[in-house]
Amino acid sequence: MSDSILTQNYFEIFSLAISTEVDIKQLQQTNRELQQQYHPDKFASASDVDKRRAMQITSLLNQAFNTLKEPVLRLQYMLSLKGVDMNAETDTSMDGAFLMEQMELREAIADVRQKTDPLAVLDDMSRQLKKRLASLVEEFKQYYQQDELEKSREVVRKCQFINKAQKEVSEITEQLEDELI
Amino acid sequence: MALLQISEPGQSTKPHEHKFAVGIDLGTTNSLVASVRSGKADTLPDHAGQHILPSVVQYMADKIIVGHEAKQHQVDDTENTISSVKRLMGRGVEDLKTLGDQLPYLFAETDSTVPRINTAAGEKSAIEVSADILKVLKLRGEQTLGDKLEGAVITVPAYFDDAQRQATKDAATLAGLNVLRLINEPTAAAVAYGLDSGAEGVVAVYDLGGGTFDISIMQLKQGVFEVLSTGGDSALGGDDFDHAIAEWIIQQAGLDANQLTQSVLRQVLREACSAKESLSDVASTTISIDFSSDNQWQGELDRDTLNELIDPLIKKTLLSCRRALRDAEIEKDQVMDVVMVGGSTRALRVRELVGEFFEAQPKIDIDPDKVVAIGAAIQANALVGNDKDGNLLLMDVLPLSLGLETMGGLAEKIIGRNTPIPVTRAQDFTTYKDGQTAMAIHIVQGERELVDDCRSLARFELRGFPPHVAGAARIRVTFQVDADGLLSVSAREETSGIEASVEVKPSYGLSDSEIETMLKASLEFAGEDKDARSLREQQVEADRVLEAIDSALADDGEEMLSKDERAIIMTARSKLAESRHTANDTQTLKDAMKNLEKASAEYVARRMNASVQKTMAGHKVEEFNSDQD
Repeated sequence: MSDSILTQNYFEIFSLAISTEVDIKQLQQTNRELQQQYHPDKFASASDVDKRRAMQITSLLNQAFNTLKEPVLRLQYMLSLKGVDMNAETDTSMDGAFLMEQMELREAIADVRQKTDPLAVLDDMSRQLKKRLASLVEEFKQYYQQDELEKSREVVRKCQFINKAQKEVSEITEQLEDELI
Repeated sequence: MALLQISEPGQSTKPHEHKFAVGIDLGTTNSLVASVRSGKADTLPDHAGQHILPSVVQYMADKIIVGHEAKQHQVDDTENTISSVKRLMGRGVEDLKTLGDQLPYLFAETDSTVPRINTAAGEKSAIEVSADILKVLKLRGEQTLGDKLEGAVITVPAYFDDAQRQATKDAATLAGLNVLRLINEPTAAAVAYGLDSGAEGVVAVYDLGGGTFDISIMQLKQGVFEVLSTGGDSALGGDDFDHAIAEWIIQQAGLDANQLTQSVLRQVLREACSAKESLSDVASTTISIDFSSDNQWQGELDRDTLNELIDPLIKKTLLSCRRALRDAEIEKDQVMDVVMVGGSTRALRVRELVGEFFEAQPKIDIDPDKVVAIGAAIQANALVGNDKDGNLLLMDVLPLSLGLETMGGLAEKIIGRNTPIPVTRAQDFTTYKDGQTAMAIHIVQGERELVDDCRSLARFELRGFPPHVAGAARIRVTFQVDADGLLSVSAREETSGIEASVEVKPSYGLSDSEIETMLKASLEFAGEDKDARSLREQQVEADRVLEAIDSALADDGEEMLSKDERAIIMTARSKLAESRHTANDTQTLKDAMKNLEKASAEYVARRMNASVQKTMAGHKVEEFNSDQD
């Protein structure tokens, strides 16, 4: 079994160019092909060494697939390839207008239950957030190409905020739907 | 001893021979065994031609009865006749509070965290009862196939947590089965169905058994069965329909359930169950029950009333369906087919509501009782290498999030639900007090925020690392979930290299020594011929162990071990190699293997650690959430 896969970056593993845009269908297809090759089930009666390697490689494949599939994780990973860590404690203050916008959004989410058709409001919020994320990804792409890493990083932090809000929206949607049944 | 654990007892030494493997559906109500013969997968019948083995065990002082005969005694020997034991798998004593009222058994007072049922044959845990069911299926497999089994694939509900999976694996070990893989019931069903129809696309598998409900959303393409999401309820099934009907009967009869004897309650339940079954064919049915010699009750149950009783339960399952669709990011109209699995999907109302929900006609082509066992058999056949050209591959996911307890009793998720497995993930934690030299690690599973609302899987401690100021120590906790969905966890203080790890033998499972004792007890009853076979098995196992250690040493023995350490391992290795050829009893061989295992324990730990670190090298941003060095 080839180990070279263990030293490749996630994009290389799936034979993709490093980019904010990933063809999900192609990613899935390559993932299936690689899994066919490396999955532990294909080594059920192999030696111990091969079995563990299969497990190790498949774990990596799963991790890489997951990272490239999720837009924000993908951006974070692209930054890490340039040595930028999202979790370092050097975060400067956020853009004030963005924070304001986020606070208003959180309040709107908190108040959604008082609306006459909360599910429709939530659906609309979800759509807006998706749009907002798409435009942030565009912004990231520009900065990243120009090697403006600090600015790219700032954009990813915004994306993380959007993701969190999106998660809240879907959690409340879930709760409301549960109550309706 | 992960390195030395890979040996598969019973491995045939002739590699090109067709190997016999079975798939086992260990169900709450019924169990089945299936195998692929002449290229076709089917369930195996017993001598009387019956495929289904009721998951009921009657313990008598001098013998154990499993299946149809035991089922007959549920009413007259309630306390010793155990059914639906799957509900207790991986459950702790405190879980009985929520389950206990449905279980008419006498639980033993015990120090063990595992509940034990008092029977005429002594105290029995759920694992032992399950093992007794598995033994019958194993024997049936061996007798039908005419040879010993290479191994078995055993199915579990997708929604089973780590403790429940581990308990199932322990039961199989106790029954003397070599577990090739634990696979999820809906995945197995999809395999049986998908290979049969050759269809490609997104499929929803709705699996409602006697005691569990599972929903899986799956993508079928080019032989790959990729689970996109899974959900369900490990304590909801057709049994609950019976209970709802039984409650209605008792209410109609103007009685109080608390004042009825266990034997009468069983009788009511049995009548409820048969009423439910007959309402799949007729619009109305008569129920009559002798509550006592002077109190006979008779009543009419029609479909509308039945629907009123079971609708709330079915709606609960539909909630899970919606969540699973959302997790998979799939819209209803993208679902190509809805496959119905499990005996409880025979209920017309279930088909009706599920069809309404998915806006599709549910598929019932393959017998819903048999489909899971058949799928498991196909996977077992592929795993032992009988299907060399086949491209069957199952890509499954973790059903419930795994995490750690952090300050304030909060659960911090390390691996989210529906993450594809196998998976390895690490997260760094730090100390909160100056001079702290130990840290307790509490592993939990579940979706809730509070640790108390999640299932506790295991606790261990990392001790003896050097004191730092608060926040300076870096404790990296690594979770590894294998292809069976089973978890192992290790922790390491990075500045000192102090380590600790656990195979997650959950708080609710049996300890290794408990399993060993049970295994020994069951072996004592084995006859002479078994000795020869077990010696042969130990020899094969010894060969494997030797092969494993040789290949590991060749791989990295030089770099990972000092000369002296190597010498110690080599001495133990030579002793085993000698015993392999000279020993006439299994114990000598086992001791030699144990000896080698002990000698190489540290080596194994280093290799595991190295391989984990290697996996993580180079990608340490979002997934590890760590401060970079």
